[in-house]
Amino acid sequence: MEKVQTSRSFTVPIGPQHPALKEPEHFLITVDGEIVTKAVVRLGYAHRGVEKATESRNWVQNIYILERICGICSHIHATAYCLGVEKLAGVEVPPRAQAIRVLVAEMERIHSHLLWLGVAAHEAGFDTLFMYSWRDRETIMDLLESLSGNRVNYSVNLLGGVKFDVDDELARLIYDGIDFLEKRTQHYLDVVTSDAMFLQRTRGIGTMTRSQADVLGTVGPTARASNVYRDIRVEAPYGAYGDFPVKIVLDERGDLEARFVVRIKELFESYRVIREILDNLPAGELSTRMPRRIQEGETVSRVEAPRGELFYFIKSNGTDTPERIKVRTPTICNMMSVVKLAVGHQLADVPMIVVGIDPCFSCNDRMTVVDRGQGQRQGWTWEALRRYGIRHYQRLAR
Amino acid sequence: MKLGTMFQDVSSSFLRKPVTEKYPFERRTPPTRLRGTLVWDAETCVGCGLCATDCPANALEVFVLDRKEKRFALSYHPDRCTFCAQCVSSCRHGSLAMSNEVWELAALDRTSFTIHFGDETDVELALAGKTASNAEASSE
Repeated sequence: MEKVQTSRSFTVPIGPQHPALKEPEHFLITVDGEIVTKAVVRLGYAHRGVEKATESRNWVQNIYILERICGICSHIHATAYCLGVEKLAGVEVPPRAQAIRVLVAEMERIHSHLLWLGVAAHEAGFDTLFMYSWRDRETIMDLLESLSGNRVNYSVNLLGGVKFDVDDELARLIYDGIDFLEKRTQHYLDVVTSDAMFLQRTRGIGTMTRSQADVLGTVGPTARASNVYRDIRVEAPYGAYGDFPVKIVLDERGDLEARFVVRIKELFESYRVIREILDNLPAGELSTRMPRRIQEGETVSRVEAPRGELFYFIKSNGTDTPERIKVRTPTICNMMSVVKLAVGHQLADVPMIVVGIDPCFSCNDRMTVVDRGQGQRQGWTWEALRRYGIRHYQRLAR
Repeated sequence: MKLGTMFQDVSSSFLRKPVTEKYPFERRTPPTRLRGTLVWDAETCVGCGLCATDCPANALEVFVLDRKEKRFALSYHPDRCTFCAQCVSSCRHGSLAMSNEVWELAALDRTSFTIHFGDETDVELALAGKTASNAEASSE
């Protein structure tokens, strides 16, 4: 057979249903041989209408629907919402409740980072690391279950405080769990920085310079791995982070290895903060009274989720339901870096680059974008979509 | 740069028992705070209905038959319940709690997904009233 040589590039569609992706998202990767020349991402397959749904529920009910935006960082969503609503209502949360919120947030960060470590190792084909890190993650899941009564949606937050207290017996359980996890985490840090096979997949792959990370607007550990000083816990401490400060973890290299190192080192910081909180847990009430109707106004609430900055805009019109809630999750900020970084790498590196930002696709899908082709793209507001729907059915009726 | 950095983890695991649990043959004692099915205490309830107002999943229905005589009934739908325990926090009289013993709620028919709390005659009265008001609403 005659060998045909062509200079045409080839486009590989990945997703929305694909074995390498755990969630529905579409990547259109143009390759020249094995080298990626262009990458396009299309979001929006997991749109659930959460923001609209909040407008027909009262302030209390909304804690739980917002908590379900993300299954991994459920607590931080509820915390961001509660902090915003409390700010609007002018309510001061008792210090003990604030400390417990931070305690659970840091426990959640441990669970999220260990989960990510496993997923990332799995994408690299290092299933041993995946299985052991997930076995150890059970320790923190059990602790969260003992604290709150549920493994995933902890529902620790209330408007004006928290539901669950931390007693001495529970504190001892947490100390023991943290001691065990700290040893294991040190081992994992050694593994990801010394395993020759694994380093082939991470060292020098997906390198993002500091200026790139800044321009692309990356957040969280993805930005910190490129030496960008960006952590809401440090820059604008909320809740009890003022009393229990966190040291920022930075890395200069900006490649996938740096992202592993930053996330794992953040675990040590979480262990330290958890111990500090348990040692100096302020005494007092767990919650304070909240009004049913929140006074008119709008506010912004920013917190550091395990994946980066989580942003809430909350607007109240003085009734018992919010007028508008807008959520911006960290994955949407980091997604553009994937599209930029994939270019120039082998197609085989793309899953690792995607997983490097710790993506949570279901979190970020909350808007309709209409692609008319020829580069024309249009974002639709709810009102425009509503008007379109009415006009469409009017045409059909004629 | 090393090879087989996790070899020791794997080799030592050969001598250890598997960490997976043999559920349902072996059951762990659930934590005391586990949020299982809802329990209602009729004695302390005042029928304010705040639990039903705050429930994010509409899993609760409170029927006030006679406020003076303290005759209330409560319908609970475990299939809609998200086990968030907001009702337990909303209740100012401590009438609600979540059991840490009853949490295996799978069933083959839907009837077990509606639990009626309260005196038997009160529940019947409440349900009759609900059917009547539903019929009224649908005829309008």
